[in-house]
Amino acid sequence: MTKQIDLKSIRLFYHPDGKPRLIIKDEKCYLSVKAVYAAPLSHPSEHISLIDDKGEEICMIPSLDDLDVDSGEVIQKELNKRYLGAVIYKIYSIRSEFGVSYWDVQTDRGSREFVVEENPNQFIWLSETRVLILDVDGNRFEIPDYTQLDANSTKMMVHLT
Amino acid sequence: MIFDSLPSHLALEIVRLLAPEEKMLLTANSDLTEDGKFDEQWIVVTNQRILTFYPNRDGSNPLIELPLEEIKGAKTEVLVGGGYIEISTDRKSISILHFSNSLVDKFSEVVRGIQQLSKGEKLRLSPDRPKTHCDKCRKRLPEKDGICPACIKKSAVFIRIMSFLKSYWKSVAMMIAVTLVGTFVNLLPPFITKHIMDDAIVPIGGVILTTSQRLTILVWLVVALLGVRVLASLSEVSHGRLAALIGNQVTADIRAAVFRCIERLSLAFHSKRETGAILSRLTRDTERLQDFLIEGLPYIIIEILTMTGILAFLFYMSWELTLWVLIPTPILVVGGHWFWRKMRPMWKRSWSKFEKLYGHINENLSGIRVVKAFAQEDGEIVKFNRHNRAAMNAGIQADRIEPGFWAAINFAGSIGMLLLWLIGGKHVIREEISLGTLIAFQGYMWMLYGPLEWLSQVNQWMTRAFTSAERIFELMDTVPESYDLENAIPLPEMEGKVEFKDVEFGYDKSKPVLKSVNLTVEPGEMIGLVGKSGAGKTTMINLVCRFFEVDNGLLEIDSIDLKKIRLEDLRGKIGIVLQDSFLFNSSIMENIAYAKPDATFEEIVEAAKIANAHHFILAKTDGYNTIVGERGNELSGGEKQRISIARAILHNPKILILDEATSSVDIETEKQIQEAISRLVKGRTTFAIAHRLSTLRNADRLVVLDEGKIVEVGNHAELMEKKGVFYKLVQTYQDISKAVAYAE
Repeated sequence: MTKQIDLKSIRLFYHPDGKPRLIIKDEKCYLSVKAVYAAPLSHPSEHISLIDDKGEEICMIPSLDDLDVDSGEVIQKELNKRYLGAVIYKIYSIRSEFGVSYWDVQTDRGSREFVVEENPNQFIWLSETRVLILDVDGNRFEIPDYTQLDANSTKMMVHLT
Repeated sequence: MIFDSLPSHLALEIVRLLAPEEKMLLTANSDLTEDGKFDEQWIVVTNQRILTFYPNRDGSNPLIELPLEEIKGAKTEVLVGGGYIEISTDRKSISILHFSNSLVDKFSEVVRGIQQLSKGEKLRLSPDRPKTHCDKCRKRLPEKDGICPACIKKSAVFIRIMSFLKSYWKSVAMMIAVTLVGTFVNLLPPFITKHIMDDAIVPIGGVILTTSQRLTILVWLVVALLGVRVLASLSEVSHGRLAALIGNQVTADIRAAVFRCIERLSLAFHSKRETGAILSRLTRDTERLQDFLIEGLPYIIIEILTMTGILAFLFYMSWELTLWVLIPTPILVVGGHWFWRKMRPMWKRSWSKFEKLYGHINENLSGIRVVKAFAQEDGEIVKFNRHNRAAMNAGIQADRIEPGFWAAINFAGSIGMLLLWLIGGKHVIREEISLGTLIAFQGYMWMLYGPLEWLSQVNQWMTRAFTSAERIFELMDTVPESYDLENAIPLPEMEGKVEFKDVEFGYDKSKPVLKSVNLTVEPGEMIGLVGKSGAGKTTMINLVCRFFEVDNGLLEIDSIDLKKIRLEDLRGKIGIVLQDSFLFNSSIMENIAYAKPDATFEEIVEAAKIANAHHFILAKTDGYNTIVGERGNELSGGEKQRISIARAILHNPKILILDEATSSVDIETEKQIQEAISRLVKGRTTFAIAHRLSTLRNADRLVVLDEGKIVEVGNHAELMEKKGVFYKLVQTYQDISKAVAYAE
């Protein structure tokens, strides 16, 4: 069991070598720390676990607001680097052929084309309207609420719900 | 090594940046920028440095420039949905290039290349990567290294399918004859009715006939009609029977050919594809093909012939009226096309909701104990209702479109009928055509409209069947394991000396599991392989059995390269006792004699006695005839192990592979198994992945593997004295046993 750490005594910063470091005041310094979401799909931005280089948890942070601004920024930056999912905000076309569908979309990271196997396991429905799509390579695309997309895009999604 | 070719203008500009002696050795493009945006980035590795470029923003100004000599290490770091290349120098570690999951394989190879170059080695990368795009049409392949459905040359596949018909040519010829006769015969009735009207009932042409003459003509025509109907029924029946016969025979032939191929394919192929994927080729794809051959193809041919025949008759009778009758046809074809396009996704959706529902029921019933233990019955009912309702809604949405469609089709058809009455009737009144002709037209019209809405589906249907066929042929075309390589050296008498010379191997070429393994094992020696899980023990065994081939280095048996030995001899002289003692669902006797089906009963019993299995076999009601159940589930773990050992004993190999099972058995059984194993290994060169202390103690030498390399070699006593890796492993094991004992 990781012993309870006072979150106020934690500080994160970037070392000149480019790696993030964690210091627990007067106690320990971790030369390499990784930030992961404990439940990225159901609780994004909450319950962030800080892991050392052996893969063991240093502590879990309920929310970034529990830390000072600078440390929070470091963690957020590391999280953004780690989670490379894209959020779709417009669907240009979905073409279905030979057991796969070819998608052409606009995301928050730019436009992208990808292929999805026509298999219900490739669509993870996190709510009635929120879905995570896995393409054939395992890249992730999220639609937070398909009913909030433009009319055309929503129509194309209806077939898949 | 060119993974991707630089666009020419960029290549020119980059060449200008290079020093006089500098050459580009590796170029690859990525799809992600450092801050995760989808955009093109390039990495260029020369013999002096690494350069990265972001052309859409910076043109040919390098983003990062790193001299090779400063590089101490390179690796890929995995992120969620992609990764990046991390280079470490003396002072720091930097990420130089990001990429999405789609490019992980490529960049693993790139990193390997960077590692080789930074160490001053030659660039040595494996050129084969799974194909993700079709070479011809550049479309994405649904399966990596699979077939491209868009590029299937339907004609080529068709010819190949038909080639299976060659052995049944007599039946096929008969079927063609029956089809032609049947189609023609089906076209006759409206024609005969026309004559009934025009010659008997309402004679035309100013010919005056007596009543009895008319009656005679009527009777003969009706008899003709009867004859035609009888002939039509006969041909329908024989057509159906022939189709069933030929269709089944051909698919059975294809299934046999596929199974033969699957059995002969190397283990490497089997480990690449999941059993499920291979199974679906044998079952689902052959089923689809069968449906196509028995129902689909004959139906298409008959309909085409029929429609051609009808149009011929119609035009012959009145070309003007025919054109009017053809007016609704485009509506029917387009309507059919639209209908299927709309319905297919709806049906798929409905079907997947029902699958979810049944899946939930299945899961619920399998886990009913858990449901009740945690008192979650009400929650489960709520979940069920949700799935049930979703399935219901999907079903309603799909099913309610159909009636509307059919009504529309019928309506369009009846428009044709109305036109026929109007225009046709006008012609009859004006005595331009006979009443019989009009009646005949009516008869033919429905025969024409009927199949039209199906026509649009023919292409889809054929594509699906041909895709299935192509998948089957792809399997059949894969090169089988070289059982009979031309220059294979026979080795009927094997001594059993095994030598690993600088062996390197990885299931995935970019991640070697064994690195630079050197080991000489004398005939009859027992080697215990020890190490943490993932160290490479099972891999070494797989290589000895030649289930996989070494990437680099040499593996020799009796000083002959393993690859060159005749596979039959090799496998005949190597025996295995695996961790999971897989037994086939037949009798104990048949399982023991699996490798030597012609063994005598006495030999089987002898083997069982040596394996300490004879005693418990006799205790069973059916003795050696006892059926072991699927995967041997009718036997206990200890019994399975001993049967497995007996099987290996009967096989009488020169080299033995022993992958010890760790199943917990009682002390008495454990003693029996240990004794059986020690008898088994006597006189055979043995590679044992050891778990039992007794095995370790009995081994002539222990080989300790760590991360793919041999770190210690020696017997048990020597290694314990050394207090090295082996000693630590044993300590950990003992500590765990003690800890578990304390907890209890």
